[in-house]
Amino acid sequence: MGRIEYREEKLAYGMLSPMLAFVVLFIIIPVLGTFWISLHRDVTFIPGFKFVGLRNYVTVLEKPEFWHSFFVTVAFSVVSVSLETILGLVFALILNEEIKGRGILRAVVLIPWAVPTIISARTWQLMYNYSYGLFNWIFSHLGLGTVNWFGTPISAFFAVVFADVWKTTPFMTLLLLAGLQAIPKDAYEAAIIDGATMFQRFWHITLPLLRPVLIVAVTLRTIDALRVFDIIYVLTGGGPGGATTSVSLLAFNYYNLGDYGVGSAISILTFLTVLSFTIVYLKIGKFQEGLK
Amino acid sequence: MNEKELKKTLTVVGAVLMVLLCLFPFIWMLVISFTKDATFLGSPYVHFEFTVNNYRTVLGDPTLHFLDYFRNSMVIATLVTIVTVSVSALGAYAVSRIRFRGRLAVPIFVLGLSMFPQISLVGYLFKFIERLGWINTYKALFFPYVAWTMPLALWILLSYFTQLPKDLDEAALIDGASRFQALYKVVLPLSAPALFSTALLVFIAAFNEFMFALLFTTDHRARTVPVGIALFQGVHGEVPWGNIMAASAISTIPLVVLALVFQKYIVSGLTAGALKGE
Repeated sequence: MGRIEYREEKLAYGMLSPMLAFVVLFIIIPVLGTFWISLHRDVTFIPGFKFVGLRNYVTVLEKPEFWHSFFVTVAFSVVSVSLETILGLVFALILNEEIKGRGILRAVVLIPWAVPTIISARTWQLMYNYSYGLFNWIFSHLGLGTVNWFGTPISAFFAVVFADVWKTTPFMTLLLLAGLQAIPKDAYEAAIIDGATMFQRFWHITLPLLRPVLIVAVTLRTIDALRVFDIIYVLTGGGPGGATTSVSLLAFNYYNLGDYGVGSAISILTFLTVLSFTIVYLKIGKFQEGLK
Repeated sequence: MNEKELKKTLTVVGAVLMVLLCLFPFIWMLVISFTKDATFLGSPYVHFEFTVNNYRTVLGDPTLHFLDYFRNSMVIATLVTIVTVSVSALGAYAVSRIRFRGRLAVPIFVLGLSMFPQISLVGYLFKFIERLGWINTYKALFFPYVAWTMPLALWILLSYFTQLPKDLDEAALIDGASRFQALYKVVLPLSAPALFSTALLVFIAAFNEFMFALLFTTDHRARTVPVGIALFQGVHGEVPWGNIMAASAISTIPLVVLALVFQKYIVSGLTAGALKGE
């Protein structure tokens, strides 16, 4: 290790320190602090902050409502990510074709991404409205009767899913389009000569070549979906009867009730679930290769 | 119908449906924002009567505080963008140009952080911010937002800096420039597009953030647009949808315009941030 290199190393740490200071103070310490709180009885109207070990975790894992919200979150993630993957793939295939107005189409696809999540949730809430929502207005004009979207667990669940899919499909589309554009044209030449139909070409060439990008995109979106909060908070508030309460929202509700110990335990369990997916993502992403 | 024609037909039909799907909620927002509220609750009923009063009310009624929310959002998002981009550029430069122990661990560590659920921070963060006396101030959002948007910014800049030939700044170093001069005079000017797409994405992320803003603000002095719109309720139990949609349109249109005008930068930033490993 020469002197110059040693000086350079110090300089590098100096350049990284502002970034790390923000991250340590406002992400790392808060997570550790939340874990610390989760090991205590910390309730607003009960005096004293008392160490109770893992008791909050036992309390949470014995609650049917926790398992219900866990199930809701997983179901939401699976359904929402599946739908937006299929839709995103269709959109990406369309945008990858040589058609007139491709530039305009690409711009239009980006619009749902640009609408803030809360505003998009508010707009969907209005469209689902029983008395003067767009959907019931169309349904009743077509003579199909009306749907009380937020009235039943199933319809409320799908109401949330559709709103989420609308908002997140553009991102999926962009990633898959980048993947499609990276497929060399000559990959198809032999297949065309052999007379493969377009569906065969898609199934045997496009999909296998797109697989790495698909896996990364699906993992990334799953991580996002497991954390869902904003759209549910605004659209259904977690109702009816907790039918759309995600784990993040459940923790939030406990904080609101003043039970920080239980809220923190749910938060940390959410964290661990998401972390397992994050590790998978970092493993498959080969993120260090460009740096070596 | 041969295969070429079939493909073309499918593409065109698909494109039309795609445009409809992507646009209809946005258009409905605009329609309702210019519509007089239906005042009676009956069966499915939309009563279209054109008015600009919703916009008048939202922009002109000080008790709604919409302009305060808008100002808060703009100021916070702008400050966060400046600080996040500067601090990330420093970090990305160090990782891409200087050999040091732990160099490869930094980006992975930071990327991992970006995937933490927000809820796993707020238990402690709320108490921390409360103890500092920052609740309902810009500081309460500024610091967490910088930390929160940093990973994305670092990734985009890092992927750009590593592609930039090292000879350029090495030539400057041989001529006696310091590392900082090499960064400011050589690397940053060449990275303008990446800096711009990072700034756009950070700004939009900060403008849209909800959970922290909901918890760390209590009234119009620090409350941001998303929280204002989420908590916007009528006085007499009747939801003023016209006003809500007008406020939504005013907040959304600048972002949509940004997204359309700078589409190229946003797309490159989003894909660089996510598909780095491809």
